[in-house]
Amino acid sequence: MPSEWILLSYRLPREPSTPRIALWRRLRRLGVAQVSDGLVALPSDARTREQLEWAADHVVDHGGEASLWTARPATDGQERALAEQMSSQRAQEYREVAGEARTALHDDPADARRALLRLRRRHREVARRDFFPPAARDEAAASLRALEAHVAGRPATSGATATALARPGTTAAAR
Amino acid sequence: MRWATRRGVHVDRAACAWLIRRHVDPDAEFVFVDDPADVPHDATPFDLRGVELGHRDGRCSFESVLLRYGLDTDPVLSRIGEIVHAADLDDDRFDAPEAPGLDVLLRGLSMTGDDERTLAVSGPLLDGLAEYVRRSYLLGREPA
Repeated sequence: MPSEWILLSYRLPREPSTPRIALWRRLRRLGVAQVSDGLVALPSDARTREQLEWAADHVVDHGGEASLWTARPATDGQERALAEQMSSQRAQEYREVAGEARTALHDDPADARRALLRLRRRHREVARRDFFPPAARDEAAASLRALEAHVAGRPATSGATATALARPGTTAAAR
Repeated sequence: MRWATRRGVHVDRAACAWLIRRHVDPDAEFVFVDDPADVPHDATPFDLRGVELGHRDGRCSFESVLLRYGLDTDPVLSRIGEIVHAADLDDDRFDAPEAPGLDVLLRGLSMTGDDERTLAVSGPLLDGLAEYVRRSYLLGREPA
């Protein structure tokens, strides 16, 4: 049976645009699935629920209307479509991390190190909103390990520590 | 006084409860509710939707409590506010490397015990954080 989702239905005036942009950024950071115009969804847990509650408050505070719902997709297929939408967006982000990590392999050590710190952070951000891990996650983790090895000046066959470092924040994905 | 917040305490609520007990109301009693409508009449709500001591104008609830009770001029509490903000909202507004660790510890606590226990354990943890921040201010660098 499909699992429970939390949905935010919202309407926010087109002008001024600042609160709309802030809301858009906030929802993007949370990694929501867009169900339709003004309706977004996340798999329901205490954290996602709370995050969308604050997003709803933000909408109301800026003269909009917002309501929160818990719902189950009526069919497995419908749930799969949401999951695939989210998964492919995360895959895109992971591929960007992987690509930039591969490029940084050609940088001198100081630049490569800066890139590594930035990409680790970016990878963590993506992992935090990754509810349905795509295969590209492993590609990103592997590229980060290679970059770690490059920065450390050792051959690119790295151990378990690097794996652990590259994979935090995936607990939410263990569903 | 009685204070009410939502059940399933994480970092922002635990830090608010600590702040209230240490700096606002030493005899604070906490009530945990599932629905904002269940807040008792004699209780002050915090970290709930639509209340003064909640997320307001980009602040987290801890920062709202600081502001409401005039504690935002205290540099130690303000810095803890930044750490809690970063742990709760994760929006890059402040540089707070302590935040992800604090968030994980509090989330783990909420998985292994009830809200009373989370407050009981997080109290000394936040006392320690406050002391650490206080000493770094006095020394002008990281304390030993």
